[in-house]
Amino acid sequence: MTFPRPRLLSSQPLLLGVGFGILILIGIAGAFLSNQARREADWIEHTLQVEQQISTLLLQVRRAESYKRGYVITMDDGFLSDYQKAANGIPPAYDRLKLLTADNPAQQQFVTELGPLLDQRLADFAEAIDAMQNNDIATAQALVRRMEGRDHTERIRELAERMTATEAGLLVDRRQAAARTSILLAAVTIGGAILIMLLGIASVFAVQRTTRQRDEAEKGLIDTNENLEKIVEERTADLQEANAEIQRFAYIVSHDLRSPLVNIMGFTAELEAWRDEALARIESLRERGAPAEDADEGDQDEGELAGEFNEAINFIKSSITKMDKLINAVLKLSREGRREFHPEPIDMAQLLDGIISTVAHQTAETGTTIAVRELPQAKSDRLALEQVFSNLIDNALKYLKDGVPGEIEITGRETPLQVIYEVKDNGRGIDPKDHERIFDLFRRAGQQDRAGEGIGLAHVRTLVRRLGGRMDVSSELGQGSVFTVTLPKYWNVRSERSAA
Amino acid sequence: MTTPVTIVMVEDDEGHARLIEKNIRRAGVNNEIIPFTSGGAALDFLLGPDGSGTVNKGNPLLVLLDLNLPDMSGVDILKRVKENEHLKRSPVVVLTTTDDAVEIQRCYDLGCNVYITKPVDYEKFAHAIRQLGLFFAVIQVPPAA
Repeated sequence: MTFPRPRLLSSQPLLLGVGFGILILIGIAGAFLSNQARREADWIEHTLQVEQQISTLLLQVRRAESYKRGYVITMDDGFLSDYQKAANGIPPAYDRLKLLTADNPAQQQFVTELGPLLDQRLADFAEAIDAMQNNDIATAQALVRRMEGRDHTERIRELAERMTATEAGLLVDRRQAAARTSILLAAVTIGGAILIMLLGIASVFAVQRTTRQRDEAEKGLIDTNENLEKIVEERTADLQEANAEIQRFAYIVSHDLRSPLVNIMGFTAELEAWRDEALARIESLRERGAPAEDADEGDQDEGELAGEFNEAINFIKSSITKMDKLINAVLKLSREGRREFHPEPIDMAQLLDGIISTVAHQTAETGTTIAVRELPQAKSDRLALEQVFSNLIDNALKYLKDGVPGEIEITGRETPLQVIYEVKDNGRGIDPKDHERIFDLFRRAGQQDRAGEGIGLAHVRTLVRRLGGRMDVSSELGQGSVFTVTLPKYWNVRSERSAA
Repeated sequence: MTTPVTIVMVEDDEGHARLIEKNIRRAGVNNEIIPFTSGGAALDFLLGPDGSGTVNKGNPLLVLLDLNLPDMSGVDILKRVKENEHLKRSPVVVLTTTDDAVEIQRCYDLGCNVYITKPVDYEKFAHAIRQLGLFFAVIQVPPAA
């Protein structure tokens, strides 16, 4: 399965990275701009403070002047104390203004010029008041007139106005800057938000596309799986059909083979009967006509003839008997292959006890012990398992080591999906090269000193396979054998259907 | 017995037919044995050219039937005989190589009277047929209706 656009998968982290980058930039720019906006606000406030301070100063000067004037006119001491208060307020107000405008050289210049003018003014006030206190009214009045004549007052007012104008200009500039900054801040924020949104939309699309591709891939995978299952099912059905056909074939063939065998057997027996009759006739003929001395010789000849005849007949008969057994074996196998299984839960210990009781006389005769350990329950066909285990136990009993009392042990265990049974013996064992051969039909291994056609294990393996299981052997010559029967824990439909 | 029983032997293998006849004779049965090697010929004889079975009306028949025939299954012949209103009381002895339980059941279900498996061992075979012959000698066979 190939993905047509693998780069798309890597574009998502990229989008995410770009998004984070933009967020960080917006954060930095926002922090910077808001800091600037705060500073600009400070500056605006500062300007306002300066303006206020200028008017405060002017107010003090004017108050001092008017109280002084009042004193000069009325000579009232109340005015004098008010004047003192106002006059005392002027230097701190001036100092504060100077401090406030320290950042601005142009304003500083005005302030510097303002300082001596104010001092002069205060000195003039003080002189006039002194003159009044000394009752020198004329001098005081002259002083006042002189003061009025001077353009100090005018100059102070002018300076103050110019400073106020400068600050007003600054205020306008600073307000504009602040407005720009806030517009910039808004622009950065909105722009960033839009970019993030765009990125979000892009990544949503990307995710959708990947999801769609993944869904398609998944669907493809499911299709493939379903196809695979179908293919497996078809193959299984084919195999089952082929198997069934082989079994039908074996059945028919063995039947048809049996039929001529009946004739061979029958007419051989008839021949035997005729031989006896023929010999009897020869005998009677000879008795009637032959000379006595030849009789013994003739008897000898006839004896020899009868012997050879018997030998031939016996060979024919034993061959036919063997052939009949083989055909019966094939028939039995093919019939077993056609039998339908009926799975049921089986208590294996009970099943084995049943088998062991049927071989009791053999075990007693050979002094064999059969031990059945704890066995897991099986869900399978009872008759089939009986045949399997009785074959295995029969074999174990049949091929004991000479002179050694047999020990047969049946053990079992289970895995999540299988139940496994082992039939272990201490018998003569099987050469590893014969491990496959022993399961073949009509094939046997080792010393051929026991009766049998070589059917049992072939039958066992066929049965176990049909039960959905597996048959294994592990053995060494002279070391005993272990036959392992592995069965599925859960009876599956497939193996049931193969019985049909 | 007014009319002697005729034994109709349906057996495709002539060797078998011969061996069967020999052993029946050995049991002292001398009834006429009509052999057929194919199912078609046997049916023609049993049911007649019109297929009604009237041709054998009044004849006591005993059918000795093999199941494996070249042209049809002996089961079909059994069915036809037992379905025929004239022949249905005639005893049918199935003598075949099959010892399949299902097949045996089927034959009895269809009305077969005796089912015998041919043993391969000739002694047993001969013995079985002779027993059958003895059985033939004593059984009552009704004439076809």
